[in-house]
Amino acid sequence: MFKNSWPLAMLAAILAASTTSARAHEIVGNRFFPATLAIDDPGVNDELSLPTVSISKTGDDPSFKQLDVSGEFSKRITEDFGVSFAPTWSRLYAPGGPNMTGAQGFQNLETTFKYRLFKNPEHEFVMSVGLEIEWGGSGAQGVGSERFTVYTPTVYFGKGFGDLPTSLNWARPFAITGQFGYAIPGSSKLATTTTDPDTGEQNIDTEFNPRVFNWGATLQYSMPYLKATVADLGLPDFVNRLIPIVEASMQTPVSNTATSGTVTTGTINPGFIYVGNKYQIAVEAMIPVNRQSGTNVGIIAQLHFYLDDLFPTTLGRPIFANNISTGRPMVGR
Amino acid sequence: MKQRIYLLAFAVFHFAAPATAFAHAQLDHAVPKVGSSVAQSPKEVVLWFTEKLEPAFSSIEIRNEQGAAVTIGKATVVGDRTQLRVPVKSLPPGTYKVIWRVLSVDTHRTQGDFTFRVGQ
Repeated sequence: MFKNSWPLAMLAAILAASTTSARAHEIVGNRFFPATLAIDDPGVNDELSLPTVSISKTGDDPSFKQLDVSGEFSKRITEDFGVSFAPTWSRLYAPGGPNMTGAQGFQNLETTFKYRLFKNPEHEFVMSVGLEIEWGGSGAQGVGSERFTVYTPTVYFGKGFGDLPTSLNWARPFAITGQFGYAIPGSSKLATTTTDPDTGEQNIDTEFNPRVFNWGATLQYSMPYLKATVADLGLPDFVNRLIPIVEASMQTPVSNTATSGTVTTGTINPGFIYVGNKYQIAVEAMIPVNRQSGTNVGIIAQLHFYLDDLFPTTLGRPIFANNISTGRPMVGR
Repeated sequence: MKQRIYLLAFAVFHFAAPATAFAHAQLDHAVPKVGSSVAQSPKEVVLWFTEKLEPAFSSIEIRNEQGAAVTIGKATVVGDRTQLRVPVKSLPPGTYKVIWRVLSVDTHRTQGDFTFRVGQ
């Protein structure tokens, strides 16, 4: 049973790794879009997520516990164009791994190139495009890293609702973000030769690598926005720095699905983000949307540094930049 | 080993950085308070920020419901350079929009706006 499910486990690991990397943050007019955990936000900035830690039970049969520890360093080349690097270390607890005894190692390294296409401060709207590359063969096969490279062109957007009429003041701190990507494997199929232990015959198993539609969204309510732009209710500072959020991250195989199937997998993540002046801390539950996505509720947490605030004149500014950078309007200490 | 590297990096950022770096100037609080109603016209509007400001590039606009400016003169940076204040005319009852734009000493630019009401 496990032998047959191992390719699915590898696919699940890849999909999981692709959804737990650290993410960027963005400022558009009065709106601060925080770095999110399950999907990427439309931001291009200088930042460091270290670490992002998640624990979950996979949707394999039998299911096993998986620990992921990842980091991401993002660097602006220009004000609107940046590149990020995201390694992830995984530990699969027994009965995970190729021998059902567990495994550990790095996932394939991910690199993302992102360009901010459009920004409308008045309507708190931003859109970016990017290319995410998962470098085949750069990780350990024992934790599911594939030998082929996967290219994912992606569109990102964010929209704050600060432009609602004042009669809907209570809703103005709401914002949504989303992303849509199409993952294209560099190899359409993999052939594996196995030997039947009883007969000695050699069999060739062919695994087809599907093209996957990666899609997701977040709904967030910004308490910093409420205090600084709508109404200062005199709430404790800790509360004024929170952003309650629900994220959804889904993966749907759409073509070349002969061995993968077409079932959509993913998680819905309710949680909180605490926004400091130079960093943010986020904690979310990961609720699987179906059996194939996981067998219990996982958890993900992240510490994220704003390098543009920590090192505004050196590491935290674009390599090719103006002298004045835009900021993050929000509450104070 | 990897965990140790993470912990070391965390320690470096968490303890060393605050003493050596600045952050964006954010609105901490304001008088009149954001979204508040006051019975009488204030004589001035004062904004407190989280970082020191560059006076030459920090300003406040206040406009009434018809879009007319109601400030008297330019905003000035006072105190320990984290306060920005501007005198206002005697304001009749109505809603007023405060638009602020500031530059912190580390050259980060921020902006924002909010409203307050008089006599309502």
